[in-house]
Amino acid sequence: MIRALLVGALCVAPIAQAASPNAAELYRRHCFICHQAGGTGAVMLAKRLQKGTSPLLDQRRDLQAPYVQAVARQGIGTMPRFTRIELPDAELGMIADWLAAGPDGRR
Amino acid sequence: MSPAPAAVAALLDAAMKVVGPAHVLRSPDELSPYQDQFAFAPSGAHVPGGVVAPENVEQIQAILKLANEKKVPLWPVSRGKNLGYGGAAPVVSGSVILDLSRMRRILHVDEKLAYCVVEPGVGFFDLQDYLDEHGIKLWLGAPGQSWGSVLGNALEHGGSTTPLGEHAAQICGMEVLLANGDIVRTGMGAMENSATWHLYKHAFGPGWDQMFTQSNFGIVTKLGLWLLPEPEATLQLKMEVDDVDALEWIVDSLGPLRTNGTLNQFCAIRNYMGTATRNTQRSDWYTGPGAMPDSVIDTIQRQLKVGWWDISLRLHGVDGANRANADAIQRAVSKHTDRKFEITAWKQGEPRARSGQPRATMNSMHKLNWPGGRGGFLAFSPVMPLDGKLALAQFRRTRERMQEFGFDYYGAVYLADRALMVVSEVFFDQDDADQIQRLRRLFPVLVADAKAQGYGEYRGHIAYMDEIAGVFDFNHHALRRLNERIKETLDPNGILAPGKQGIWPPGQGPAIKGRKA
Repeated sequence: MIRALLVGALCVAPIAQAASPNAAELYRRHCFICHQAGGTGAVMLAKRLQKGTSPLLDQRRDLQAPYVQAVARQGIGTMPRFTRIELPDAELGMIADWLAAGPDGRR
Repeated sequence: MSPAPAAVAALLDAAMKVVGPAHVLRSPDELSPYQDQFAFAPSGAHVPGGVVAPENVEQIQAILKLANEKKVPLWPVSRGKNLGYGGAAPVVSGSVILDLSRMRRILHVDEKLAYCVVEPGVGFFDLQDYLDEHGIKLWLGAPGQSWGSVLGNALEHGGSTTPLGEHAAQICGMEVLLANGDIVRTGMGAMENSATWHLYKHAFGPGWDQMFTQSNFGIVTKLGLWLLPEPEATLQLKMEVDDVDALEWIVDSLGPLRTNGTLNQFCAIRNYMGTATRNTQRSDWYTGPGAMPDSVIDTIQRQLKVGWWDISLRLHGVDGANRANADAIQRAVSKHTDRKFEITAWKQGEPRARSGQPRATMNSMHKLNWPGGRGGFLAFSPVMPLDGKLALAQFRRTRERMQEFGFDYYGAVYLADRALMVVSEVFFDQDDADQIQRLRRLFPVLVADAKAQGYGEYRGHIAYMDEIAGVFDFNHHALRRLNERIKETLDPNGILAPGKQGIWPPGQGPAIKGRKA
């Protein structure tokens, strides 16, 4: 149906967003685009962090939820700030808790 | 003219009943992400008065009604990521940001006829994910900074390096809300039962699609955009060229092949700073005064193994045709250099990473790290003829100006089929007052230099909308006068994005010199 020809008004059902995304999905959507390996966030962090600390956020064991929230809202270095419309406080809270749990804590 | 704070507060109060309290923002903390994140304008300029984020057309209509009643200007943004041009920030302080990022439905994708219909909040990553998940063989042209909106990027004349890389040219059919709340569909879509809304651009009567790009005549809520059918094969051609003056022969070799269609790509020639800013910081190379001297640039090129210019081309289509076209391109440049292009070939079904498809990415943000501190950038983007001698002269002129003001030259030359866009970027540390002062003095000089050659910008930062619009001065600024007559007719209260692209409601814009009363 998605590939059907458009006849008349928009005839294809709008493509729904996930109703209640989980933390991992939210991380992927909002953070991963820069913080994946080779991404601009990972590259910046590799320069800034001490050796032995992963530049990949989802591999870190030292992140605290309030810190994650503060960085997303206030920006840091060249990282822009996120609006409360694109990333509401509740969703940012889920991401922050997910990161703070660390790679072992969330499995 | 900024609105009265009491009027803004009244609008925000009333808007809460329309969109819900969570979707109205007003505290300085909440508004800060909507300010220009690479700000260089004086503090107090371009500060939003609030944010309202509707989720559908009916809510926008209700907000338009409120704005008309209370005479409060709205500044519509799709996702508000127009970084380098002001981001989500308004020209006029106190304007209320109409944040459309919650409207993120992909309404339709047609694989056979190769187009999509999207709402303003759909980002490049969203559309790419959708195409991937459904195995749809269409390529979107993602720009170097893909955080933003597909719709917003096309409206702002953004681009990517595909055969359909001039995105505004791929727009076909819109739904637009006018300031009075009326809903208009453009082009063939003006028929109630149109079967060709997004298929044919030149309908009966004047074409309005382009009237709603980079304008403040309406709010585009649905956009038809043509996408590239996945090519059967691609060939990538890459060559580094050491000599700075080679820009002339590069443009003169490739230009005719762009014009005649042999090189079917909106392609870019980038300078060494593309690599240097991606991997290193300025202080790794130079900490002295002024712009980096040539000796330092030589060191960078040697150590990073890059030329002054990076020619990266990509041919799309049937493999045999690509190879024949690649031969023609090699022959054209072989008149000037012994070097051969490095060629990477890809065919459908092979791993996509080799295809050269411009995937959604944020990696152009790497460059912000160049100046150190909180990096920012400002783009200067004049349009000029597709001509090598003129291109070299414009590049030298811009580079000398940037050096005069103490900035390193970063640039890419985009080849359209008859014109060049010379996109030069100035990097600065947002916390360095001296750099900010120099930047503010530099930009109007660059605009004036280009104007002296008959070149105007295709895009511009919110702080310089009037300067840039001012160079389009034929017949006592007849185009501005036409735009403002349309503005007055469509938006008599001036509630939509006053000052956008230098288009103002009656009596609000800068005086036109020599204008007859």
